Amino acid sequence: MKNDKLTQTWNRQKNVPPLANPDHIIKKAKKQRSKQFIAIAAMSITVLTLLIYSIYYSSNQWNNFTLGLVLMISSLTFRIILEFVSLYRKESQVISLDNLSFKKYLKRHYKIRSKVNYIITPICFAIYIFGFTRLLPYFEQELSKGFYTYILISGIVSLFVIAIIIVNSILKESHFLNQLNRK
Amino acid sequence: MNIEKEFTQIYNTYAHKVFRLCLGYASGDEDLAKEWQQETFIKVWKHRNSFQAKSSISTWVYRIAVNICLGDLRKSKKHAQINENTLEIDSMGNEKEIQEVQIRKMYNCIDQLTQNNKAIILLELEEIPQATIAETLGVAHGTLRTRLSRIRKSLLKCITNEK
Repeated sequence: MKNDKLTQTWNRQKNVPPLANPDHIIKKAKKQRSKQFIAIAAMSITVLTLLIYSIYYSSNQWNNFTLGLVLMISSLTFRIILEFVSLYRKESQVISLDNLSFKKYLKRHYKIRSKVNYIITPICFAIYIFGFTRLLPYFEQELSKGFYTYILISGIVSLFVIAIIIVNSILKESHFLNQLNRK
Repeated sequence: MNIEKEFTQIYNTYAHKVFRLCLGYASGDEDLAKEWQQETFIKVWKHRNSFQAKSSISTWVYRIAVNICLGDLRKSKKHAQINENTLEIDSMGNEKEIQEVQIRKMYNCIDQLTQNNKAIILLELEEIPQATIAETLGVAHGTLRTRLSRIRKSLLKCITNEK
């Protein structure tokens, strides 16, 4: 079948353009790996600091401000860790599964992700907002009116932007899952 | 052999084939195909220690490439169905233009296949041995041969505009 119409047409494609050289690939891979290490280290330090902070203040001067802060940071950290675990797992499947098994895995992966998107993410988001509202009376009391208004408005705007990003990524993932199920 | 040299050898052997395979998945979008090709070899480098010689290195590389192309959430702008009007061959067109249209038409027809059939035909068109294709995709050799002949027929029909 080497000389049939299909193979001939396929082989008529223009020549392969210059591709990156292997050294460039190695450099990029090393850079990616060090970025991953930095992200994991930053997350571990955040979790550790959060733990120490909570333990220290819970017996000393626990109030609404510390509660709000802990809720905000922990919900965010939890969601980011979940994202990392999901990415890491997907990467390990990319390199180890044959294509049919990988497709099955992807369907499972995006079904789980849609549960995370529809249940866990809104819970984390609500906890984050609740934490933020715990801080507001302290900001109002301690800061100037102008700065307080700035924090309030910028806080609401950033929450709105985050919500749009989340919705966008949910739509993208559901669309992809539908495509996988269709084909 | 030094690991960088070993990687260079693997890269030089498979880089072009992987690029063309990704090009088929990306419906001819070179930038996207280059990105997927690079991502494939970044993973090959990063996970070189986890490669167990249960399969051949070629199977492993193609497997990663096909999985990356399949697993990417994005859709290339050019990935959208190519308007049939743009595929009409102008009788005044020169040989190069005619070839270009035929190739675009081929991408369009490949894009209409299911994901599994797309992988099968793209690997076959790159003249990768059928045993390697079967192992890469996780199908039995016999099943692959049957499906291959069916895919070839439907693709040929699509390219020649037969209904």
